[in-house]
Amino acid sequence: MSEIYEQIATGILEGNVPKIPELVQKALDEGLNANDILNDGLVVGMNEVGNRFKSGAMFIPEVLKSAKAMHAGQELLRSLLAASGAAQTGKIVLGTVQGDLHDIGKNLVGMMCEGAGFEVIDLGFNIEPEKFTEAIKKHQPNIVGMSALLTTTMRAMGYTIKAIEEAGLRDKVKVMVGGAPVDAEFAERIGADGYGHNAVSGAELAKKLVGAA
Amino acid sequence: MQVRKTNYQVNATPRLQVLTEDAIEAIYYASLRVLYETGVRVYEKEGVEVAHAGGAIVEETTEDSSLVKIPHYMVDKARSTVPSKVVVTGPDRQYRMELFKNQIYFGGGSDTPYTIDPYTGERRRATYQDVKNCARVAQALPNYDFHMSLGITQDTAVGTYDRWQYLAMLEGTSKPINITAVDLEGVRDQLEMAYIRVGGKEEWKKGPIFSLYIEPVSPLSHSKEVVQKLLFACDHDIPFVYTPCPLAGATAPTTLAGLLVQALAESLFGIVISQLRKPGSQLIIGGLMSNMDMLSTIYCYGSPEMALLSAAYTDITKWLRVPEYETAGCSDAKLFDEQAAMEAAINISTAGLVGGNMIHDVGYLDSGLTSSIELMVASDEIIGMIKRILQGIPVNGETMALDVMKEVGPGGHFLEHDHTYNRFKTEIWQPKLIDRQNWENWQMAGSKSYGQRVHERVIEILEAETEPLLDDAMFKELRRVCELADERHKGEELDVKMFG
Repeated sequence: MSEIYEQIATGILEGNVPKIPELVQKALDEGLNANDILNDGLVVGMNEVGNRFKSGAMFIPEVLKSAKAMHAGQELLRSLLAASGAAQTGKIVLGTVQGDLHDIGKNLVGMMCEGAGFEVIDLGFNIEPEKFTEAIKKHQPNIVGMSALLTTTMRAMGYTIKAIEEAGLRDKVKVMVGGAPVDAEFAERIGADGYGHNAVSGAELAKKLVGAA
Repeated sequence: MQVRKTNYQVNATPRLQVLTEDAIEAIYYASLRVLYETGVRVYEKEGVEVAHAGGAIVEETTEDSSLVKIPHYMVDKARSTVPSKVVVTGPDRQYRMELFKNQIYFGGGSDTPYTIDPYTGERRRATYQDVKNCARVAQALPNYDFHMSLGITQDTAVGTYDRWQYLAMLEGTSKPINITAVDLEGVRDQLEMAYIRVGGKEEWKKGPIFSLYIEPVSPLSHSKEVVQKLLFACDHDIPFVYTPCPLAGATAPTTLAGLLVQALAESLFGIVISQLRKPGSQLIIGGLMSNMDMLSTIYCYGSPEMALLSAAYTDITKWLRVPEYETAGCSDAKLFDEQAAMEAAINISTAGLVGGNMIHDVGYLDSGLTSSIELMVASDEIIGMIKRILQGIPVNGETMALDVMKEVGPGGHFLEHDHTYNRFKTEIWQPKLIDRQNWENWQMAGSKSYGQRVHERVIEILEAETEPLLDDAMFKELRRVCELADERHKGEELDVKMFG
């Protein structure tokens, strides 16, 4: 029984995207519990990925492969976990704010958050405040994440938070921000709930914001 | 006259070449395929129309953009009118850049959110005064040929900061400037300021005093502001830098050749649109290409790949006969430290040796997020060293000095010889901040590290009395343009103060 968990964890570590759904399915077929497959297999693997990345033994493209494998495994478990009432990590709506086309950082955060177990709805780039509020209404996420590369477009983060407030949605979501010119002080000034200084810290912050870390 | 020597070749300067002509052609023709088969996405209707009227295929039009595919003959046509030389001068014409093949000019980088305070060493948001300080230092450094802000003025309005930033630079330097603009209106206002500074539109036509920095977004995207600025620059005789910043492994292929193909396709689009808009429009294509660090995800400014890619791109632009925007004098270090000096020395040497034209980003730390006056000053000396290397070794009867050697003979010395007296100053480069004292003298001079000596020089420059470059009336006229812009846009600022 523990052998299959170990295989799943190793598959995550190796970023074996086709293999993970097979292994998860096999575990389910053996009658194992979805929650245990998640926590004793997938999460164990992903935690080790995190450790290795922090110590410089794994690199971003490898971490992203693992995150993708993690995501593939979770997709299989999602409906079972929901049915069992087990808590999901959460849902995130992400976007690069209005006026800004730079989205590599936002994409990285999205992939990292998926690897951390979040369901990620990526709105894309050049996203107007109203599009964010519409997405909140539609998807009811736990978190809204915004990205900007320019100081001029950083203002759009402020406008967007204002629009979320005006739509009466501010207490329904946590807001996190990031991007090269953004810092924690700015995040606080515009009333965001947190600032991620890179993709990994963004995913960690997201977990913290939903109380999963 | 007896002639015996034949087939004698010399290098008047040392040479560096990364790509052969065959490799350059392979990259060029691959770029043409990208433009034609993959296409570029254009987020500005007028730009799409210009391309379409010129023969481009327009597909997949959405609410905000179209996919534009450029047949190769459009590129050929554009290349027949794009200038091989671009000139930008200072407002009083004393300083001048003649940008064409194998001509090198060094200068700063633009718009860093942060700067290192020259007095406290603290990293903080850049202000108007910082931008002015950087410009004053650029003015004082002999190896600085043009200037970029090296800081965003973040104590001015956010939506109109570009005008204030230009004013701060005009206060500090009379060298050619490469400006940035938040949008089209920002370009228009700064052009008005430049007319005021240079003495009118006709004077501008005699010699533009700034170039405009325009950055398309990799991969293969040309935003609304970017295309608007490009078209405006063509219409108003503004030379402009069209520089994508592709990042190997993230916003471009991880293989450097693939990145070069993509970057060239991105620049060629700028060449095509500009020449369609107005044949003869002046571009400088670039120039900032590097790899993503796969642990930190930063854009590497100090990596060997950055220097190598920039050098390779210079080879490509020489072949294209279009002026180039190179990158050097920059580092990923957080302070002006050993790493900063090492990385700057490597990339300045590479850029100088290969002969990039407008070599920018001198003074950048922290992956382009923080500027450092200390790195500016230190780099000035590195540039001096590389310029000495570029003078090469002329080999002739005079310089081989056989007669002198014969006169001195075995066991003698050359110190008193006229040949030494007459030539040592031009033959041997003399440093200003580099230390060559013996141990005792160095100790007596305070046992200072290079960093300490650089710091002292920074303070010396900042505290030197200099004549104002702008008289009161002109300063007021220029400031009026900034104030009017603030007035027009005051409703767009956030309720809260964005920066401390």
